[in-house]
Amino acid sequence: MMKSNKRRFRFAPLLLLLLLASATLLTACSKSGGKAGALSGAARDSTLVIGMLGDADYLNPVIGASLTSSEITGLIYPGLLQGEFDTKTGLLNYLALEKRLRPSSGNSDEKSPKAALARTWTMSPDHRSITYILRSDAKWADGQPITSRDFKFAYRLYGNPVIASPRQQFLSELVGADKGVVDFDKAIETPDDTTLIFHFYKPVPEHLALFHTSLTPLPEHLWKNVKPQEFRESKLNQQPVGAGPYRLAAWNKQQSLVLSSSASCNLPKPGNIKRIIYRIIPDYTVRLAQLQTGDVDVVENVKPEDFAAVQKANPNVDIKTIGLRVYDYVGWQNIDGEYYNSTGKARPHPLFGDPAVRRALTLAIDRQSIIDGYLGDYGVIAKTDISPSLKWAYDDSIKPYGFDQAQAVKLLEQAGWLPGPDGIRQKSGKRFSFSLYTNAGNARRNYACVIIQQNLRQIGIDCKIEIQESNVFFQNLQERKLGAWMAGWAIGLEIDPLDVWGSDLKKSRFNFPGFINPRIDQLCELAKNKMRTEEARPYWIEYQKILHEEQPITFLYWIRETQGFSKRIQGAKLNISGTYYNIDDWTLKPSIAP
Amino acid sequence: MLRYILKRLLIAVPLIFGVLTLTFFIIRLAPGDPAAFFIQPGISPNVAEQIRQQYGLNDPLPVQYVKWLGNVLHGDFGRSFSRAQQPVIEVIAEALPVTMTIAVLTLIANFAFGIIIGVISAVRQNSFLDRFLTVTALFFYSMPEFWLALMMIILFALKWPLFPVSGLNEIGAESYGAFGFVMDRIWHLALPVTVLSINGSAGIARYVRGSMLEVIRQDYVRTARAKGLSERVVILKHALRNALLPVVTLMGSSLPFIFSGALFIEVIFAFPGMGRVTVEAIFARDYPLIIANTFVSGTMIVFGNLLADVLYAVVDPRIKL
Repeated sequence: MMKSNKRRFRFAPLLLLLLLASATLLTACSKSGGKAGALSGAARDSTLVIGMLGDADYLNPVIGASLTSSEITGLIYPGLLQGEFDTKTGLLNYLALEKRLRPSSGNSDEKSPKAALARTWTMSPDHRSITYILRSDAKWADGQPITSRDFKFAYRLYGNPVIASPRQQFLSELVGADKGVVDFDKAIETPDDTTLIFHFYKPVPEHLALFHTSLTPLPEHLWKNVKPQEFRESKLNQQPVGAGPYRLAAWNKQQSLVLSSSASCNLPKPGNIKRIIYRIIPDYTVRLAQLQTGDVDVVENVKPEDFAAVQKANPNVDIKTIGLRVYDYVGWQNIDGEYYNSTGKARPHPLFGDPAVRRALTLAIDRQSIIDGYLGDYGVIAKTDISPSLKWAYDDSIKPYGFDQAQAVKLLEQAGWLPGPDGIRQKSGKRFSFSLYTNAGNARRNYACVIIQQNLRQIGIDCKIEIQESNVFFQNLQERKLGAWMAGWAIGLEIDPLDVWGSDLKKSRFNFPGFINPRIDQLCELAKNKMRTEEARPYWIEYQKILHEEQPITFLYWIRETQGFSKRIQGAKLNISGTYYNIDDWTLKPSIAP
Repeated sequence: MLRYILKRLLIAVPLIFGVLTLTFFIIRLAPGDPAAFFIQPGISPNVAEQIRQQYGLNDPLPVQYVKWLGNVLHGDFGRSFSRAQQPVIEVIAEALPVTMTIAVLTLIANFAFGIIIGVISAVRQNSFLDRFLTVTALFFYSMPEFWLALMMIILFALKWPLFPVSGLNEIGAESYGAFGFVMDRIWHLALPVTVLSINGSAGIARYVRGSMLEVIRQDYVRTARAKGLSERVVILKHALRNALLPVVTLMGSSLPFIFSGALFIEVIFAFPGMGRVTVEAIFARDYPLIIANTFVSGTMIVFGNLLADVLYAVVDPRIKL
C-alpha cells in the first residue's frame, strides 16, 4: 500500500502551476484592459458609438442600398434641398436656403436650411419644369466647387440601366421617361454653374417635383472616367468624397466604420460631435450588453421586454421612440392563387374570398392581448395602412373592430360556414382548415401566431403554424402559394399604396393577397394628381373606409420602434423619418465636469 | 509514402470539383433569389431584373455553368453579390486571418488541456479527482456553445467587467503601439477562446483518458515500472506516447475547423470571420461566395483527412501506407 502510494505520480505541483499560469494571464489581461480599456476620457467625450446590425455596402448615393449605407451617405454627401418632417401634421417639407415649400408651423423638429445646395427654386406655371438656383459657395471636400453639372452627371448615372440604381424611379417624370428612356439632354439643362432646370413630360405637383429632383449629386471630376460596367466595382465607392458635415475616416469592413467631423463643411456646418463610430455587432443580445456597459451609445430596436433589465443595469440608458411606421398583419389570399397562376384569371379564394369571412376573422383575433403580451405601451391596434403619425391623412373616425367572437361566429354562419362533426366549421364539405405561414427568426410574429391559432380554434377554425426561412417565405408569397401568412410592412413617408393594393396584379408587385377593387386605383390616381398634398385628404379618407370594410388583410398593430440611447447624448430629435434625423446637431455631455 | 500522397491528391481533384459542381446546381435550384433584396416598395421594379442581368442569372443553367467553369479554371471565383461586388477571394482573405487566429489558439488550448485532464483522470482512475474531472468535462461538453458564450459574457463582461463584450480590438487600439495592440487583441480573444476550448478540450480529454487507460494496462508499462523507472517517466514517456496515437487523427480532422470558423462565436463576439461570411452568404443567396467557401472548406476536409492518415503512419511505424 505504502509502496504504490509512493510511486504515484504527483499531480499537485502540475495543477498548481496551471492554476498559477492562468491566474497570471487573467490578471495580466485585465490589467492591460484596465489601462487600455476604453478611450481616454477626453476622446470618449467627443466620440459617439452606434451599434449596428450590419455593415454598409456602397458609400455611394447612386447604388447604396442598405439602411446603414443611406444613413452614412446622408452625412457624407450634400443634398439639393433639406428635408424636414413636421410631426404636427405628418407632412414632409422641403427647404432651400431662401425658400420653403410650406411655411413654418412652429413644429419642434425644424431643420436649418443651410444644408441645402439650392438657394431657391421656381416651379413653372404649367408644372412641367422646375428651375433651381444653386449656391456658389459650396465645395466638395477636395476643394472643387459643386456645380449644376455635377447634378446632371449624377442623374445620368441614376438612370443608367447598367448601373441599376435602386433610386431610378425618381426619374420617372422626366422628359422621355414616358417613352421608356429619359432624354437627359432635354430633361436636364445647366445653362451655367448655378442654374439647374428639370423638365417633365407631364404636369407634376410641386412637392413630388421637389422630392424627385433632390437626388444626391456626385462629384463629376472624380467619377467621369469610371465606366458604367465598372461602377459598382470602383474603389471610389469605399472612399467617398462628399461635402456634408462628416467625412469617412476609416472603414474596417464588417467591424467598424469611423466618420469624422468635416472642418471645412458649410452645408450646414461641421458635425458637432467630432467622431462617430459605427460598430457592427450582429448579435442582438451582445448589442444590448454593449449598451449596458456603455461601450455603445445607440442601439436601435430594443425589444420592450428588455427595457427594465437594461435600465436597471445602467440607469444612464434612455429609451426613445419614433412614430408609427411599421405594422404587422395577417394576409389572406383573396383570390384562388392556384387558379390564378394557371389561368391568369381571378376567382374568389374558397376560404378567404368573402369580405364577410375576412371581417369575421379580424373580429375573432384578440389583437389587444397580442399587444398587451408583447409590445405593451409600444403597440397600437392598426385599422388600415395609413399610419396615425401621418395626421393629415389619417381617419380618426373609423372605430377598429373589437375582439368579438360572437359576432364573428354570426358572420361565418351567415356565410354558410357551419360547425362540422369534428368541431371544425365546414361549407359544402370543405373544412375551414389552413396553414398560417410566417418567416423564421421573428419572436414577435411567432408569439402573435400562437395567439391567433388559439383564437381561431375557439370559433371552430383549424389553423396550423408553419415557419419558413425568409427567402423561401418571400418567394412563396410572390408566387401566391400561401393561403394565409403573417408579415409586416414599413410605410414610406409619401403615401403611394398602388404597388400594394392596385387591381392590376401583374403591375402591383406587392399585392400578395390579390385584392381587387378598382375604386382604390381611382383614389390613388386622384390623390396623386392633386397639386397640394393636403387636398388629397378626402380621397385617403375614402380609401381607409374601403380597406376597413373589405379587410383584404387583418391589420394587427402598429409598432412604436424603440431605440436605446445613452443619456449623455443631448439634443436628439427622433421621428418617423429617422432615428438619426438631426445627428449632426447632437452633442455629448462631458463625463466629468471641467 | 510519397506515391500514396500523390495518389490521394490526384483523387482529391475530381472529388473537390464534383463537390463544387453539386453546390453550383443545388444553390441555384434552392428557392430564393439573389436579387430579392431589390424587390421592395420604393425601389423601381426594373432594378431586380437589371441586377439579375448583371449577375448573369438570366442565362439558362447550362450556360451559366459553362461560364462559371471557365472562370474557375482561370482561378477566378467571381465577385460577391452581397458584399458590394468585392472579389470573393478578397472577402475570404479578409476573414481567414481572424478565423485562423481564433482556431489556432483554440486548438492549442484544446489539446493542451485535453491531454492534461485526460492523463490525470486515467492515471487516477476512479478516484474522486477522476470522477470530478469526468463529470465536469461531460457537463461542459454537453453545453451549447452559444449559451456558454452568452453566460460567459454575462459573468465576465457585465457582472465582473474583466473582459470586453465583443469585437476584435478596442476602438482606437491602433494608437496603443504594436505591443499594446497585441495585448488588446489577446484581451479580446480571451473569452471566445475559453468558450471554444472548454467545449473542445472536454471532448479530447475523454479520448485521451480512454486510450491512456488501455495503454497503462499493457505489459511494457508494467515492465517499465519493474525496471524501477520513476512514475513520471513511465507515464509521460512510455505510456503517453502510445496513448496519443488516436489523438493524432483528431488533429488532422480539426484542420477544416481552422478554416471554416466557429459560427456562433463569431456572431456573438462580432468577429468578422469565415463562419459569418458563409452563413451570411447563404442567407443572401450570394452564389459566388457560397461556392468559394465550399471550395475552401472542402479542400481542407480532404487535406485534413490526408494529413491525419500520413501523421498516423509517421508516428506509428507499424502502419504502412
